[in-house]
Amino acid sequence: MMRKRVGGISCEDALARLWEFLDDELPPQEESAVRKHLEICGRCYPKYDFQRAYFAYTRRVRAQELESTDARRKLFARLLAQESDARET
Amino acid sequence: MAWAMLGGPPVHSDVAPGRVRELPEPPRGDEPELAAEGFVEEALPWLDAVGRFALRLTHGDRDAADDLTQDTFLRAHRFWHTYERGTNAKSWLFTICRTTFLRDRERIRNQRERPAADFDARVEALSAVSALGSPPPDPEHEFFGRLIDEEVVAAIDALPEEFREVLVLSDLGDLSYEEIGTVVGIPIGTVKSRLFRARRLLQERLREFAVRAGYVHGGDT
Repeated sequence: MMRKRVGGISCEDALARLWEFLDDELPPQEESAVRKHLEICGRCYPKYDFQRAYFAYTRRVRAQELESTDARRKLFARLLAQESDARET
Repeated sequence: MAWAMLGGPPVHSDVAPGRVRELPEPPRGDEPELAAEGFVEEALPWLDAVGRFALRLTHGDRDAADDLTQDTFLRAHRFWHTYERGTNAKSWLFTICRTTFLRDRERIRNQRERPAADFDARVEALSAVSALGSPPPDPEHEFFGRLIDEEVVAAIDALPEEFREVLVLSDLGDLSYEEIGTVVGIPIGTVKSRLFRARRLLQERLREFAVRAGYVHGGDT
């Protein structure tokens, strides 16, 4: 059976590279082909929903500060104490 | 610059009112000098990323994650002279964090073979830590968003360890496939296969949740 090619690659090939595309790990030529395919292909686009939602979540988590101020204060105090101990011994 | 990054000088909340504990004072108008040159500039910016990794390694136990993060940076600081400046501090720190976690876990396993009283005391201590659990949810957080976040976190924590660690390093730590390979000590091909399998498992579990919660119908694709 002839596979439909959109933007130079088939749906199967585009979906097989989807995570690498989203992770920015594809060589430029393949990246461009997958991007074109996803922009045009109505069949693949809905399958992209989970990935988009998931990456929105991970971006949000990465943007959150983990109570940094307190953690950094504690860490810095311990680092200084460690250095002080090392100088004494 | 360092004090700004660190959010100000160290403060101890256990000091009695009216008393000032003797703490290393920052040079006036400047930051305190750490002996490990470049540590503040190259290592400390990764504190949050390493903290997130530690949080997932410890299955969301914030106290354990804080300890692991601090231990990671203390070790990094101690061995800073072995780090080649300007290479990849991020991978180096994640490697230390993972190694520290595995070493500590192994130590806990070994301690289980110690005399019963010692073991009981340690179990009690561990239980006390576990009982603290996660901090209370932020009441201002939008309900649906929080529920989904919690489900994602629970689904990540439920992944088998070999899948969870690559997923967290990639998706929460923002490490490249090559960096993950360095941290975990596996080839890039294995990184990819574990990562994609992890995401597929995650997707399946979140979908099951979404169906159960009625957000999507069981037959939807």
